[in-house]
Amino acid sequence: MKIQEFLNENIKEKIISAVTDNGLKVFFMPKVGYTKQYAIFSTNYGSIDNTFIPIGSNDQITVPEGIAHFLEHKLFEEPDQNIFDKFSELGANVNAFTNFNQTSYLFNCTDNFYENLELLIHFVQNPYLTDENVDKEKGIIAQEINMYEDNPNWRVFFNCLKTMYINHPVKIDIAGTVESIQTINKELLTTCYDTFYTPSNMALFVIGDLSFDEIMKTVNKIEKTRDKIVEKVEAIFPIEPNVVESKIVVEKMETAIPLFYMGFKDHDLGLHGNEQVKKDSVTNLILEMLFGQSSVFYNELYDEGLIDTNFGSYYTGKKTFGHSLVAGQSIDPDLVFNKIKDLINRPVEEVLKEEDFIRIKKKNLGSFLMGLNSIEFIANNFVDLYFDDFNLLDYLSLIETIEFDELKERFTQHLTVDNLVLSIINPLV
Amino acid sequence: MGLKSERIKLGNGIYLNAIKTDKFKSSLLSWYFIRPLKREEVTKNALIPLVLKRGTTKYPNSLEIQKKLEELYGSNLSASINKRGDRQILRFTMEWANGEYLNDNDYNFETIEMLKQIIYNPFTSENGFKKEYVEGEKQVLKRRIQSRINDKRSYAIERCIEEMCKKEKFSISSLGYIEDLDGIDEFNLYEHYKEILETSPIEIFYVGNYDDEFIDYLKTNNSLERENLVSIPEEKIISSVQTKNMIEEEFDINQGKLVLGYRAGIHYEDSLYNGLIIASDILGGGPNSKLFKYVREEASLAYYIGSKVYKYNSIMLIDSGIEFENFQQTIEIVRKQIEDMKLGNFTEADIQVSKRSIRTSTESIKDSIFLISEFFFSQLISMDNRSLEEIILDFEKVTKEEIVQASNKIIPDTIYFMKNKRKEV
Repeated sequence: MKIQEFLNENIKEKIISAVTDNGLKVFFMPKVGYTKQYAIFSTNYGSIDNTFIPIGSNDQITVPEGIAHFLEHKLFEEPDQNIFDKFSELGANVNAFTNFNQTSYLFNCTDNFYENLELLIHFVQNPYLTDENVDKEKGIIAQEINMYEDNPNWRVFFNCLKTMYINHPVKIDIAGTVESIQTINKELLTTCYDTFYTPSNMALFVIGDLSFDEIMKTVNKIEKTRDKIVEKVEAIFPIEPNVVESKIVVEKMETAIPLFYMGFKDHDLGLHGNEQVKKDSVTNLILEMLFGQSSVFYNELYDEGLIDTNFGSYYTGKKTFGHSLVAGQSIDPDLVFNKIKDLINRPVEEVLKEEDFIRIKKKNLGSFLMGLNSIEFIANNFVDLYFDDFNLLDYLSLIETIEFDELKERFTQHLTVDNLVLSIINPLV
Repeated sequence: MGLKSERIKLGNGIYLNAIKTDKFKSSLLSWYFIRPLKREEVTKNALIPLVLKRGTTKYPNSLEIQKKLEELYGSNLSASINKRGDRQILRFTMEWANGEYLNDNDYNFETIEMLKQIIYNPFTSENGFKKEYVEGEKQVLKRRIQSRINDKRSYAIERCIEEMCKKEKFSISSLGYIEDLDGIDEFNLYEHYKEILETSPIEIFYVGNYDDEFIDYLKTNNSLERENLVSIPEEKIISSVQTKNMIEEEFDINQGKLVLGYRAGIHYEDSLYNGLIIASDILGGGPNSKLFKYVREEASLAYYIGSKVYKYNSIMLIDSGIEFENFQQTIEIVRKQIEDMKLGNFTEADIQVSKRSIRTSTESIKDSIFLISEFFFSQLISMDNRSLEEIILDFEKVTKEEIVQASNKIIPDTIYFMKNKRKEV
């Protein structure tokens, strides 16, 4: 077993890693003096990975919407014990989440860490699916879907994605629909599990005042033995047209003030590692300069009463999709939309200033350092970036390499009216 | 290693509380202003943090303030308004990254001065705040109050409390009231602001590393001599139910929101109080709780269901999102589970699990710079000087009899149900 160590002197943090015989990558970040201990066990499999060639098959299949999330719920099922009870008995809080590109299982505790870790690995690696327990889950997930359906902030966000993407499955609701989950069964779940829950497609990240030796001992003891290391399976994505032509989608629901999401679709895709994270950071710097609380744009619209402090923007992207989102609530979303169009049509020298760039980089530096106080922030971001082939500890040095000119280029190419869509939720009355 | 708060009097009703730790990559400084929760001033109090963040004498608008904060490595300024029992709390907080990681060791003084600018040196004209700022923030606050409905779960909880505690101060919304906004202008708001500075008990909290010199700096710069302080009344706890209430409200929604309000009437200083917390936890504290098991896992009625005790007025709320037609069935299950608590139908293992869960969450406070400050502040206002470790020990001592006794004080008061407006097709 080869042990690697990544040390960042500047921020006084390090990460140790090793790969098990079965091909599972394990990471550990020591946090001396911390009371809480945290582990997250993730697979690089999320709601968008719904078309693929299953392991052991030659035929491509498309599975029902929401199946990755459904599987997340079902892994908590065990034949002889209630997994929630087990963690509770050990004083741990266990949870899980599914997003576009990963499913993660996690717990935190202040004691009995290694026993909890055993449990975590055990329940994720040993699914127990029956027709009966799969059916029973449908009512619970239907309620979860209904809860999101009633949330105008969630709806305005997903309407935006649904308008922006024609074919890409990022437009699909993560939990699926009440109808789509009815078609999920034990066999389909098993197929997804066997394909995407292989050790080479997963990562385990542990953080706290703990010992790496003990962690590896626990992992090696409990990990399911495999005959051979299976290659990672990549999902298959449809061809996605570029142009979205300022499409607008409007819906009415129970809310007080109109809500909006504007999205710029990214065409610069297929990157990974340093390049991907750099593009991400460059784009987020631009958005902060254009729409952040220290921007002229923000302050003008705020003074005019067009936006509130919940106005904000961010870029998010993976290998096969990416978008910048500008969101908030406004008495006149159409006017905000027009003002944004005007802003991005102006010459780049007018809207992006080097002094703002330097100042916002400074802000990112401090914010990242403060983020390192939180073990949850570290763990969740580490895993997310790991699946993009990037080490979180390299983040600050990457920010340092960003040149102002790179922002100008990206602005011209990415923030255009052709790439833009608008989603609005209006009040019922 | 226990955390200790060093408490230093800086003037009449103003204290500095310093908690030393070198665990974090940042430091945190908070000002807490304590006000009585009163309808007459609640809306003004809610407006103050919003208006103060608009401009100071040195940084006359938000743009300048934001730029300065970014210069200070993204120092994080936050202001909030909330209620703790019958008190309304205004909080102003700054958190900033430690200079040692930035090769900039002295900027923390600048950050502290910035926070004080916001609190003590607002942008004014002719004995008032700037008119545009006040009028603008009145609109912002109005929209914020209106938007409470966007989060239907918390809206339902607030509505249940409003109805249940109608005759108590606690029903007053800490965000204030739209109809009171018209009576507020830049002059009377400024008068009220001066009143807050002059009469509120003030607790300043610092969490981070420090030396004597730093404490001296905070001391000499923050002393205030003041005369009469506003009196903060202790809340009265109601233990009996006068009228049972059932409130139904209709909205255009897909999922019903059920909130069940109970009174326990056990004061947080009462020896039975810890028993009540454990009872609520066994009932609906997490995914191993009885309600989660029977309402979600067994009957598949809900995605979420939980129970929570509100410390200062000793009410307990159970809330869940369900299909409209499952209202009766859900209530029946909850009723049965509470009955079981009263009869002692729970195991020693249930108690141990709850105690461990409470211990984990209590110990976890030590890993959050913000929660440390909130914890010590909360201890102060409830005049409780136990450490985190002592609190955990006290929970360990709770017996089954005490949990049963506490459970028997739980009486139903108000049912709130948010249901669908649309007719069945």
